[in-house]
Amino acid sequence: MTPARGSRPGVRPSRALPGARVAAALVAPVWRTLPWRTLGAAAAVGLLVVGAGRAVGAGPVETLYGLRGAGLALALGVAFLLDDPARHTTAPVPVRRAVRTLLRAALVTPVAGLWWAAVLLLVPGTVRPPAGDLTLETGTALVLALAGAAVAVRYGDAPEPGRSVAAALLGTAVLAPLLLPGHWALFVPPNDPGWTAAHERWARLLTGAAALCAASLHERGPHGQSRSVTSPCGTSGPSRTS
Amino acid sequence: MTTVSAAVTVSASGLTLRYGATRALDDVSLRLGRGVTGLLGPNGAGKTTLLRVLATSVPAASGAFTVLGHDPASAHGRQEVRRALGYLPQTPGFHPDFTPFEFVDYVAILKELTDRAARHREVRRVLDEVGLAEVRGKRIKKLSGGMRQRVALAAALVGDPGFLVLDEPTVGLDPEQRMRFRELIAQAGEGRTVLLSTHQTEDVAMLCHRVLVMAGGRVRFDGTPAELAARAAGRVWRSTARDPGAKAGWRTGTGGYRNVGDPPEGADLLEPTLEDGYLLTLDGDRGDRGDRGDRGDHGDRAEATA
Amino acid sequence: MTATALTQQAAPAVARSGPRNSWAAVLALAAFEARRLLLRLPVLLAFALHVTWIVWRTLQPRDDYPVLQDADRATQGGPLLVGLAVLLCANRAVLRSTRRDTERHFAVLTLGVWRRTAAHALSVVPLALLTAVAVTAQFTWEALKSGAVGRGSVAELLTGPLAVLLFGAVGVLLARLVTSAVAAPLLVVVFLLLFVGGAFPSSGQETGAVWLDPVVTTAGAHPYPSDLLGRPAGWHALYLAGLALTAALLAVLVSGGRRSRAVQAAFAGALTLAVLGGVVQTGGVPARTVEARVRASVAPEKEQRCVRRGQVRYCAFSEWLPRVAGWARVADRVQALAGGPARGRDLLVRQRVDVRGGLLDDAALAPSTRPGQVTVGTSWGGNRVPEFSTAVAGVLVAGDEKAASVVCDGRMVTVMWLSLAWQSDPESALRGVRLDDSLTGSAIVVSRTEPLLMTAGQTKVVRALFDRPFYGVAARVKAHWAELTTPGVTTVRAAELLGVRASVGADRCAR
Repeated sequence: MTPARGSRPGVRPSRALPGARVAAALVAPVWRTLPWRTLGAAAAVGLLVVGAGRAVGAGPVETLYGLRGAGLALALGVAFLLDDPARHTTAPVPVRRAVRTLLRAALVTPVAGLWWAAVLLLVPGTVRPPAGDLTLETGTALVLALAGAAVAVRYGDAPEPGRSVAAALLGTAVLAPLLLPGHWALFVPPNDPGWTAAHERWARLLTGAAALCAASLHERGPHGQSRSVTSPCGTSGPSRTS
Repeated sequence: MTTVSAAVTVSASGLTLRYGATRALDDVSLRLGRGVTGLLGPNGAGKTTLLRVLATSVPAASGAFTVLGHDPASAHGRQEVRRALGYLPQTPGFHPDFTPFEFVDYVAILKELTDRAARHREVRRVLDEVGLAEVRGKRIKKLSGGMRQRVALAAALVGDPGFLVLDEPTVGLDPEQRMRFRELIAQAGEGRTVLLSTHQTEDVAMLCHRVLVMAGGRVRFDGTPAELAARAAGRVWRSTARDPGAKAGWRTGTGGYRNVGDPPEGADLLEPTLEDGYLLTLDGDRGDRGDRGDRGDHGDRAEATA
Repeated sequence: MTATALTQQAAPAVARSGPRNSWAAVLALAAFEARRLLLRLPVLLAFALHVTWIVWRTLQPRDDYPVLQDADRATQGGPLLVGLAVLLCANRAVLRSTRRDTERHFAVLTLGVWRRTAAHALSVVPLALLTAVAVTAQFTWEALKSGAVGRGSVAELLTGPLAVLLFGAVGVLLARLVTSAVAAPLLVVVFLLLFVGGAFPSSGQETGAVWLDPVVTTAGAHPYPSDLLGRPAGWHALYLAGLALTAALLAVLVSGGRRSRAVQAAFAGALTLAVLGGVVQTGGVPARTVEARVRASVAPEKEQRCVRRGQVRYCAFSEWLPRVAGWARVADRVQALAGGPARGRDLLVRQRVDVRGGLLDDAALAPSTRPGQVTVGTSWGGNRVPEFSTAVAGVLVAGDEKAASVVCDGRMVTVMWLSLAWQSDPESALRGVRLDDSLTGSAIVVSRTEPLLMTAGQTKVVRALFDRPFYGVAARVKAHWAELTTPGVTTVRAAELLGVRASVGADRCAR
C-alpha cells in the first residue's frame, strides 16, 4: 500500500506567510544553536579590556584603543556566528538561507547592543571619545565579521568556517592601520583633524560591508557555472565487501 | 519487497561537475522511479557529488534534472524540490547539546512545518519509526554512533518527503543496527523514491529493486541487482590455490580459494553474487580505459579507480 | 571471514623506534609541525611584511648614518607581529587534532599527549631562528653602511627572536588550557593593545615595570654612547627565554607531563630563570651608569678623544670618531665661505649629550659660551647636516654659540647663507632646518642647542641670495665681512651689502 506523500494531517507546511511563521518557530532552536560561549568569551574580553583601562586610569588615547580593541574582540566572536555543525543537514531545506542568517543576526543584535552600551558606560565620560562615531566603528567591524562569515558560507563548504573568518578579520585589523595610506586612514586619534573624514570612510565601509553581507545571504543560483572548488569527493571509508 | 512503479519521479540528464581537473560528474543521466535504488561505486566515483547535486546542496555546472515534476533550475523550483526532499548527508553533523527531539524538531521547522502540535506529533512519529523513542530526551553528544545515524535518518524522514537521498547511511553500524536500518529504508521506500549510496553490496542485494554503478564520474551500470550479478555468471570459480589468472581471489573460511575473472577450462564454477558482478563491472571499466593492473585485491582496485 | 591474497606476502620491514627513541620521534614531529607552521598564511604574511618593513626602513635616506647601539634595538618591533602570527598558528596547530576529532585516535599512540605538546612547542624554534636570520640580516645591513658607528649588542638582537619563541609557546599553552577556537584571536587582541598599542602599564618609561613587556624599544630622541644606555638587555633576554621555556613546559605539564621528573625540574629551572631575569631587569639604571651619564653630560672632555683636521679640532666620544671626516667636510666648506679673521680662525667642534634626564629626555643642550666652540650631536645625515653647518656658521659670525642663539639682526642672513649656500640644494636644506618646513615667513631654525629665529624678511633675503650667482655673493660676503658680522647690522643693510633689493621691514624677533 502506498500512502500518498504529503497526505499526513498537519504535516504539510502552511503556505500563509511561510517566512514569518517559520522565522517565529525558528527563534527558539536557532537561539540555542548560536555560539554563545564564543560570543560570551569575546564580550568578556572586551569588557575586561575596557574595565582594565578604567581601573588604571587610562587616558583618552588608551581608552580609544581599548574601545576599538573591545569592538574587535566582539567582531571576532561574531565571525563564528554562522558556524553550524549540522550544516549539511540544514542546508537543502525550503527555508531560505537568508532567513536563517538574518534570524541569527537579529537574535545577536540586541545582545550586542546591550553589551556595547555597557562597554561605553564603563568608560569615564572625561576620556570617552565621541560615542556615536565609535559605535559606527564597532558596528562596521561587526558587520564586516558577519559579511566575512556569510561569504565563507556562500563560497565554501565547511560547516564551521568561523576560525578562518576570525583570522582574516584579525589580520585585516592589524594590517589596516599599518598599510592604509594617509588619505584612507581609518584609525585616527580623536583630536585629529581627519576624525570626521575618517568617519565618513567608516560609514562608506559599513555600507560596503552591509552590501556584501546582503549579496552573500542568498545561496548561489541553481546554475553555478563559475564555481569555487571545494572537497572533490566524499570521505567515505574503504569499500567493505565482507 | 518494495513496490516498484514504472512512473519516473526523478530524472536527470547530462549532469556534469568538475573540481579543478577532476570530473566528479561526467555527463550523468538517470531516471528513478518509486522504490529504493542503490548507488554503488568505489571511493571518488562521484556518488556523494551526485547525491549532493540531486539534493540541491551544490549546483551542477551543466545538465538538468527534475524531482517529482519540479525543476530546481529556478529558485522557485529549488524550493519545491526541497519541500519534497529528505536528505541524509555523508557526514551529518549535529548540535551536540540538542536532544534528538529538539534536533529533528529544528529540521522540521526548517522544512516549514509550522503548526506546533502537528509538528511535534510528526517528530515523535519519525523518532518512533527509527527506534529512538526512548532516548529522544537525551543529548545527542551522549548517544552512540548508530543512534546518531538514526537521528540523522529521522531528520531526513521528517515531513514525509517524497524523495529520500541517503548517503552511506549504514557506515559504522554493527550488523544488528544495519539490519534495523535496512528495515527502515525498505519501509521508507514504500511509495517513495529513495536513492541509497553505499559500499555494502549486501544492502543493495537486500533492499534495492534497481542498482546504479558509478566510476570516474560516470554511470557504468544501470539495471536490477539480478542483472548485475548475472554479469559474473560463469566467471566465479573455486580452486585449491589462488588462481594466477584471476582478477580477484581470496581464501575463504573453508580453506579453498574463490576466484573471479576468466576461469580456466573445467573450473569448478560457483554461483555469482552481486558483488562479483560489481567487481567485474569495475574491472571492465578499468579495461576500457587501458590501465588494467594485475593486482587482484579489491581494496587496491577501489583505490586505483578512485 | 575472508582474507585477501595479498596479505600473504610479507610486510616490508618498517623502521621502528624503540622506547628510547621517543625523543627522536618528538623531534621528527616538531620538524613536521614546523614545516606546516611555516606555510600557514598568517605566518607567511607576517614574515613577508617583516622583510618588506626591514628593506623599506633600511633604504630610507635618513637611515644612512646608523648608530649601531640603536640599530640593534630597532630590530625588535617587527618580530612582534611575526610572534602574534605564530601564536595564532601554533595554537591552531595544537587544536587541530581536537577539531578534526583525531584526538581519540592519537591519544592511544606511543607518542603521548605531552610529548606531542613538546613537539608543538619545539616547532616554534625554527620560526624563531628564521626571525633571528631576518634580524641579523637587518643589523648586518646597517653595520655595513659606510656611515655606521657604534656597536650593537647580541642581547638586544636576541630579543626579537625570543619574543617570537615566547608568543609561540604561549599559543601552545593556551591551546592546552582552552580548546575554544576564539581564545587565540582574543589573546592576540589583548596582546596588540598591551604590547603594540602601548597600553602596557608604565609603557613609555625607561626603567622599572616596563621591562616586563616583551619588547622595550626605549625610542629615545638621540643616540647615546653604548656605555651610557644602561638597558638591561642581557637580563631581558634571559627573562624572555625563561618565560618562553616556562610557558612551553607548563603546556607540557598540563597535558600530562606531570609524571616526568625531568619536565618538573626543567619547569622549576625555567621559572627561576624568568623570575631572576624579571626581577633584576626592573632594578633600574645601575649607579655606575648614572655616574657615567653625569660625567658624559657635564664634562665630556674627560671622556672624549680629539683629532685635528685643518684649523678645526674635533672632540667626540670614541664611538663617533669615524664621523669626524663627515663633520670636517661640512665645517671646511662653511669656513671657506667666511671672510676676515673668521676664515683663519681655530674652531673646536665638541660632541655633546645630556643624558642626565634619561634616554627619553629630549631637552635641548645649553649653547656653549666658549668662543669658537661648536656643538655637534650624535645623529647625522638628513637635516642634521644643515643643522650642524648653521651652528658652525653661527659661531663664525657671532663668535660663540650663546651669542649666535640670540642673533636678531642682519647677521642672520650671513649665517644662513654660509650654512646653506654651498649645499647642493640650498632651498630644500633651508626647508629642512626650519621647524615648520616652510620657505616663507618667519620660522624657528632647529639646532642641537638653542634654536635660532628667522624673520620673514631674512627668509626673503636669504632665498633671494640663493637665486643670485654663488661666486658673486661669496665675493661680497668676503668683501663686507666686517660690516656683515657687526652686531646690530640691519637686515636691510645686509641685503644692500650683498646686492639684493628687497623690501624688508625692521628686525623684530619675538621669542
